[in-house]
Amino acid sequence: MIKKIIVILAMIGLIMMLFPLVTNFEFLENLNDLSTNYVSGSVNELNSQNVVTSVIVTYRGLDTLGEVTVLFLATAAIGFLLKKKKTKKRGSSELLQTASSFLVALIILLGVYIFTHGHLTPGGGFQGGVIIATAFLLLILSDVNIKFNHTILQVVESFSGAFYVVIGLIGLVLTIGFLNAKIIPLGEYGNLFSAGAIPIIYSLIGLKVGSELTNILDTMRGE
Amino acid sequence: MIFALILGFALLLIGIYGMLSQKNLIKIVIGFSIVDTGVHIIIVSIGYLRNRTAPILNSVVDLGKAAQQVVDPIPSVLVLTAIVIGLAVTALMLTFVVELYKKRNSLSIDDYQELKW
Amino acid sequence: MVNPIYIIILSLLAGFLLSIFDKGGRKLSLTVFYSVLTFNVFVIADWFYRFAILGVSTLTINTAGFSAPLSINLQLGMLESFVLLFANLAGLLSAIYLIKKFKESKISSLILYLILIMGVNGLVMTRDLFNMFVFLEILSISTFALTILTKNKKSLSAGFKYMIAGGVASTFFLLGVIFVYYFSGNLNLEFISSNDFTNYGLIGVFLLAIGIFIELKPFPANGWALDVYESVNSGIVAIIAVVNSAAIIFVLYKILPLLPTVYLSVFTGMGIVTYIFSNLVGIRQSNPKRLLGYSSVAQMGLLAASLFYTTKLGVSQNISFLIAGGIFINHFIAKALLFWIAGIVKKNNIKDWSVLRNNIPLLILFGISLLALSGLPPFPGFWAKWEMVKVFVGSKYYIGLSAILVGSLLEAFYLFRWFGYTTKNKLNKETMEQVQFSQIFPIIVFVLILFFTSFWIMTNVYSLNYFNYLPLVAIFGMFLISFLRSKVKAIISIAAVVLYGYFLFPLGMSIQLLFGIIFIIGSGIVIISTINRKNTGKGFYGFLLMMIFGMGNLIIAESFLAFFINWEFMTIAAYLLILRGKRAKIPAIVFITFSLAGAYFILAGFGYMPNIANNGAIINTIGTIKIPLMAMILMIIGFLVKSASFGAHIWIPGAYAEAEDDVTPFFSSMFSKTGIFGIILLAISFIKQTPDFDLFYWLGWLGAISAIVGAFLATFQEDVKKLMAYSSMSQLGYIIVSISLLSHLGWISGLYLTLNHFMFKAMIFIAIAGVIYRTGTRQMYKMGGLIKKMPLSFITVLIGIIAISGVPPLSGFGSKWLLYNSLIEKGWFLQAGVFFFASAVSFLYLYRMIHSIFLGQMKYEHQNIKESPIWYLIPQVIFIIGIMAISMYPNLIIQPLNTIVGNYFNSSIVIDGYNVTSSLGYWNGNMVMYVTMGVFAVPLILLLLINGRTQTVKQFNIVYAAERPESPQTTHFAHNMFSHYYKALGGLTKPRIQSFWNYVSEGTNSLAGLFRQIYSGNGQTYILHIILYIVAIYFIMGV
Repeated sequence: MIKKIIVILAMIGLIMMLFPLVTNFEFLENLNDLSTNYVSGSVNELNSQNVVTSVIVTYRGLDTLGEVTVLFLATAAIGFLLKKKKTKKRGSSELLQTASSFLVALIILLGVYIFTHGHLTPGGGFQGGVIIATAFLLLILSDVNIKFNHTILQVVESFSGAFYVVIGLIGLVLTIGFLNAKIIPLGEYGNLFSAGAIPIIYSLIGLKVGSELTNILDTMRGE
Repeated sequence: MIFALILGFALLLIGIYGMLSQKNLIKIVIGFSIVDTGVHIIIVSIGYLRNRTAPILNSVVDLGKAAQQVVDPIPSVLVLTAIVIGLAVTALMLTFVVELYKKRNSLSIDDYQELKW
Repeated sequence: MVNPIYIIILSLLAGFLLSIFDKGGRKLSLTVFYSVLTFNVFVIADWFYRFAILGVSTLTINTAGFSAPLSINLQLGMLESFVLLFANLAGLLSAIYLIKKFKESKISSLILYLILIMGVNGLVMTRDLFNMFVFLEILSISTFALTILTKNKKSLSAGFKYMIAGGVASTFFLLGVIFVYYFSGNLNLEFISSNDFTNYGLIGVFLLAIGIFIELKPFPANGWALDVYESVNSGIVAIIAVVNSAAIIFVLYKILPLLPTVYLSVFTGMGIVTYIFSNLVGIRQSNPKRLLGYSSVAQMGLLAASLFYTTKLGVSQNISFLIAGGIFINHFIAKALLFWIAGIVKKNNIKDWSVLRNNIPLLILFGISLLALSGLPPFPGFWAKWEMVKVFVGSKYYIGLSAILVGSLLEAFYLFRWFGYTTKNKLNKETMEQVQFSQIFPIIVFVLILFFTSFWIMTNVYSLNYFNYLPLVAIFGMFLISFLRSKVKAIISIAAVVLYGYFLFPLGMSIQLLFGIIFIIGSGIVIISTINRKNTGKGFYGFLLMMIFGMGNLIIAESFLAFFINWEFMTIAAYLLILRGKRAKIPAIVFITFSLAGAYFILAGFGYMPNIANNGAIINTIGTIKIPLMAMILMIIGFLVKSASFGAHIWIPGAYAEAEDDVTPFFSSMFSKTGIFGIILLAISFIKQTPDFDLFYWLGWLGAISAIVGAFLATFQEDVKKLMAYSSMSQLGYIIVSISLLSHLGWISGLYLTLNHFMFKAMIFIAIAGVIYRTGTRQMYKMGGLIKKMPLSFITVLIGIIAISGVPPLSGFGSKWLLYNSLIEKGWFLQAGVFFFASAVSFLYLYRMIHSIFLGQMKYEHQNIKESPIWYLIPQVIFIIGIMAISMYPNLIIQPLNTIVGNYFNSSIVIDGYNVTSSLGYWNGNMVMYVTMGVFAVPLILLLLINGRTQTVKQFNIVYAAERPESPQTTHFAHNMFSHYYKALGGLTKPRIQSFWNYVSEGTNSLAGLFRQIYSGNGQTYILHIILYIVAIYFIMGV
């Protein structure tokens, strides 16, 4: 009982603390200098339609590399913690399995589309990767006994990450800075092959996220 | 879009209350995940500017005056990263819960207090 | 010169590919793993060298081909490289420590570890707020996962609590980041200024700061961290406790410029609260790793407080670097060492750590780590504390100052108690596992770095005079020759002491010479008695020399700092010497607690001191400065602890009695005089400058009370060493009162008493050591009639007690005569009365001692006892000659003392031939001697003449017919000898002070017990603590 009162008091305190942030909040009228620079830079310097993508992959590329690392860490950590059990369970119906395997290809295709067009349309490597992982989730749901080839997953995961770092490294070797997207020609604005290395990086991220999430799902399903 | 901001803070508070009042480990993790979502909504709503479009400079946007027509792209960038990180943390938390359950067959947080003082 | 971003690149590449490498065998992946970690260390070491030695300017690394604020930039400067050098080194060493685990564990553990270290590098280098959040999460997630490197129920639940708490903290941090962005329009620290935040915008800064602050585990919102410390694998905990904390404290350092002053004040307070309360709760802890956890949390609080406070005051960069850097390195190295050692010992209760005695080298390393962590010289924490006290006093932050000193004392208490358990608890038959080289290697490397840093600070920052290193040189030197035979080492020690005195001591007539004789020549003589030892065990002479040189250095110290370092050296050495006694566990901890408390008083007092010209020994220059009253009071308290004055006397009976018998003379006759020396030091300034307040009048009363209480307590002791210990307390009371008189005659009598007490206490304690050596007991009622068997020892004790009691003809008479003269001259009649009474009481205990030991009936089992060994007799004879000489010819000593004291007061006595004339009369020591000899000679001759008519009955020439009484000692005359006096006076000796201190310690204990109730072990409560803490701090700050 006392604990409940204390919890409520804490909540009241928290509300009082955060209240001014809401009541005094005003939306800005204009973009600040930084965002203005990003918006113009995305067009003029990187030839990328999607400003968010150009910020993610280049300007704040180190964040993104970190983000990929976090996901990678989570995969490693979950793999470290959980042991895979090999219990055979009753399979699901043939119908379900066939239908879902038909869908899987389409979903993967959608995922690939999303990450390759990250610099043009909403979406990108993470979104695409998640969509790919949902394809495998569907497979898992439809057939509990399905086995994925872990070597392939691991190779995709490791090498897409490594290539991402290597692409960053190329910029460093060319002395134009780590993770610089201008290591290859920028191409024509609005085309698939534009924005320098951004689509390549985003594709690698897409592959990596997809394989990692699949790996996590696969590990957790054993429980 | 001030409602989004309020919603974000509301979710934050609800999540914290959940973490403080629920005994079930999984519910605590859910509380954490609600907190996370609340923060993400707050982040996105902070970047909002009235009557503007998404920061994707396709044919809808006049390239010359792009900066006057789009919302702030930075919060979107940050939230993307934050979401992925939140996902990773939540996944790891759930893994811990699974392992804890395997060790002691209990999901109540009160059963895990042998370390104290 | 490698771009530091390669640390991140290479770690990531290796991390991503490790699982592929592992397909080629664990050897390959381990090679990659260790090479990357080593690469990191070399890159950073190279940069550190550039910044620190070559003075290269700070390096900024842009990414993505844009400069800040567009892109994220990294920065590597002097500070970053300093922190990272230690972080990467600890990362590599801990990885080596864990090599066995890494060989067996899944490949993921290597990946997690590697990326953890990368996260630390990124976190320290990045200048972007959101990027900090990302690296913080990288660090956190890898740490969370590594908490279960050794998977069990405990580490799992601790890991879960850690995740929830860390998650909440980083959520607040993220919220802070986004609002800071909203208000300032930037994420890069370079482009955000504290002016960007309007009134409620400060909430954003607050959220940012509190998120990080929670990660630093402030009290009481830190239960989760303690669980982690307790349950997680030692190698990983070492990383969590030092490397993670280092990175997080650095983040805090980076956001400091954004914080308004009021935040800095509150956070300083919170840091100090964490320091004192974590240490308080720590005293109830018996699990070594959790204990270290409390200590870690406390140290982080101290470090944060020092950062906040120096920033708030705008203290110069050098000083703040010395303070924060000192605490940082000290904690970093010592804590890593202790966690590693804890992982080797594998005992979950500090009481079982006696098993460490099976591995002496490791025990020594353990002791060094504990000393470092307690903030004792020469380790970096000491210098930090020294500067910190000055800063706190300078800014009049007295609450903070006292809290820090109390916290330090509590910390030292539990660390030394742990050491006491380790060295003194019963050693069971169990042996330790074979220690792997990979486990001992990191420890050795860190200890070497610890010593190197300490040495570097001593030489480069403070440029101390060479003799201040001698106590350390002594202990190292003796350690190196510890393979020699004990007798050889004794002779080397005597030679070292003689050389030390010869080269370092000014021979002019001064107080320095007098104390030099006591500390140096006295030690040289007393060491002779230790030659008797068959086998000294390692370290004995090292500790002894360290103590002697420490005492000697006090006299020639040229600055307050040098004085204080040597004071601490001496105290450490004394502690280690006491600890060598068989049952010294409790006395040693009481001794070190009181001594350190005294030392902290002195430290605080030095904080108040004005600057002093660095122009020769401070004893000669102290007269030029006026010491503030506060400093005077604090320091006198500190000095009185050492001379065991009333109130702080409870450490002496135990320490004197339980120290080895041939070590006790050092304590009684020399060590206790250091307190007197300190008081004289203060008095010199006091008399040269006009005082505001007659402090010494009250000190005089304290001396009088010590004299009488000491005498009473001595009277009712059964244990001969305790009796003499209380006698010392009483005698030092005499000295204190005569110094407090601040008159010519008073000081002559004070110094005369000092010299006298030094000689008779040394010889009595050595004589007693001989008796105990032969009889094997300290209880006086178990002895008796030893006069026939040990005549020389008897003579020594007889002369000694005549000298103490102040009856003619020996030197004690002269000193008493001078004392009463000076008291009466000053008009302190009441005090004189007290001393008269005390002197009468001292007859009681002296009579009891000599009678119970040497006279009366001899015990049957002592029939075949022999005289003391020759090595005990030699120093006794030397001291007898000394006492006889100054008794016969008092001018030998009065004349020089007259000259010495003449430097400070106008002479008030006339010395004419053998006559010493004061305003009240005259004393002719020579004549007194002859008269007394005559008085003795007449009855002696008479007795000899009538001797023929008596018949001697041999003691054992009787037949016992009755049965043995149940407790034979109660029938002995000497047992409870003064029971009749006890009925009358015993009330005075009730251990009130003892009960006071018991009350203090029990009170502290129950307070600790009360506070640790908050650590309920429930993860949910811990989250509640965090939320409440955040809200409370928010309202305290009144944002």
